[in-house]
Amino acid sequence: MGFITENPGVLTTIQDEGRYGYEQFGMSPAGPMDLRAFRTANLLVDNDPGESALEATALGPALRFDQDNVAAVTGADMAPTLNGRPCPMYQAVAVKAGDVLRLGAAKSGLRSYIAFAGGLDVPQVMGSRATALQNQVGGYQGRRLAKGDAVGFRAPNPGLALPRVAPVPPPEGKEAVIRVILGPQDDMFTQEGLNTFLSQPYTVSKDFDRMGCRLEGAVIAHSGDGNIISDGMVTGAIQVPTSGQPIIMLAERQTVGGYTKIATVISADLPRVGQRKTGDVIRFQAVTVEEAHQLWRAFHQELEELKAQLDRPQPSQPVQPAITYRVTVNGRSYQVQVVRHT
Amino acid sequence: MSDYTLCYVGDQALLVEFENEISIEVNQKVRALKYDLERKKIPGMGELVPTYRALLIHYDPLRADLERLKEEVKTSAARMDLTHLPRAVVTEIPVLYEGEYALDLEEIAKLENTTPEEIIKIHSGSDYYVYMLGFAPGHPYTARFENPFSFKRRESPRVRIPGGSIVVQLALSDIIPFDQPCGWNIIGTTPILVCDYRKENPFLLKAGQWIRHVPVDRAEFLEIKRQVELGEYQCRTYERGQ
Repeated sequence: MGFITENPGVLTTIQDEGRYGYEQFGMSPAGPMDLRAFRTANLLVDNDPGESALEATALGPALRFDQDNVAAVTGADMAPTLNGRPCPMYQAVAVKAGDVLRLGAAKSGLRSYIAFAGGLDVPQVMGSRATALQNQVGGYQGRRLAKGDAVGFRAPNPGLALPRVAPVPPPEGKEAVIRVILGPQDDMFTQEGLNTFLSQPYTVSKDFDRMGCRLEGAVIAHSGDGNIISDGMVTGAIQVPTSGQPIIMLAERQTVGGYTKIATVISADLPRVGQRKTGDVIRFQAVTVEEAHQLWRAFHQELEELKAQLDRPQPSQPVQPAITYRVTVNGRSYQVQVVRHT
Repeated sequence: MSDYTLCYVGDQALLVEFENEISIEVNQKVRALKYDLERKKIPGMGELVPTYRALLIHYDPLRADLERLKEEVKTSAARMDLTHLPRAVVTEIPVLYEGEYALDLEEIAKLENTTPEEIIKIHSGSDYYVYMLGFAPGHPYTARFENPFSFKRRESPRVRIPGGSIVVQLALSDIIPFDQPCGWNIIGTTPILVCDYRKENPFLLKAGQWIRHVPVDRAEFLEIKRQVELGEYQCRTYERGQ
């Protein structure tokens, strides 16, 4: 088996990298809202970066294990504890049958990821284990986890050699600059409208879910109205309906849409959007496609380096500071250090 | 030579747009471009999403050479050949136009100044073209090329209509895959599923094909519904010219 959900938290779902190849049939890809934290969690437990893991939102779950394995928690800091003691984040930790991993309320950011060595044992639907809440399919019976749900580990690896540690990214402030590529319908706004979009602050409203993030701020002026003949959509598309208030379309967005799209968030910055919460502020900055591709390559490079570093044999590390004793034997004094290694 | 524009959609997709109108002529260009690009197997090119007048081309920036991809798209768009498209498929959709399965049929007939029988005859009398899929999984946007009806949306939308509802306005007719709010009039109900997650390929329809509504009686409806639940029902399909 794996774990039993003692408390599901606010919104905990099983995600993998998403369901691709079915957008032409109207199927949204789903997948994690913060790809960087999601992949990091998987690498820490020696999984493929796209393996199935848990995404927790705002207030995390409490899980009781009934099988030994290794887990890692990344993303928003929900002050995780293991059997009541603080559980380090961005670090693989051994969990034993009977242990309880509990996440609290997010102190910074919005979404945490919990990965388990060998991934989660739920069926693939259209090649993916990602939960699509809107379409009620994938993950655990197409829905968020509920109290009592038991989820198995697919290939647990309790013997995974530790330590495996990744750097903890500094939490982002209340205001974030999110980079975008203008278009595809930037020509349907006035110059003033484009200036407004690129210069004014936009506040994350309460209307923020896995489908999209509605922002509030200065009205963005269209040259006509906000309607187009419906066309295809990508994750990160920023729709501006006739109201002039932008909506960033996210993992569970629809596949097509009939509103003007002023710009698209670059792939490397999407994980940061996924960690914004109500009241946070976003400012948009336009970049070129070339810059966006460089940043995307850097995003991958960073994770590849982490993987390479984790794959290198780790020297055994002390888990507690050394304790020094002075011992006197037959009148001679010795200094003795006791160090517990992993 | 075809009139089109090519633009960036973020850093992982391109968009090719043809004339800014909803027509089968324009949509056939989208279909032809998709057909041509799919056969080319360009490295790093991802899924192609066709809509009324545009084709969205996903790509993987780590694997695709963007300049080459753009060149390939331009070549394909320029040498567009509608005559080489495979023949279009028609899928027959059984529909019960009756009672609680056709909540607005009487009203539609009144609005059109005719009888329910005549409305059924018009709706099932010629094929509807599937421009694209979207909104919900498997949901087709279909239309025909003359306006068989003059009515539009209802004054107040319903909060929830059941999956399987066939809804209409003007030249449009949609099949609702799952329960959802809807402001269109319900002309009938089909027992078939346009999205069935139990199947390896859950989706019954594809952009660029046609559908024909076939009236069934209550007994046939229930029998088809039973077979659909068992996963045994196969819709009748056949080819037609473009």
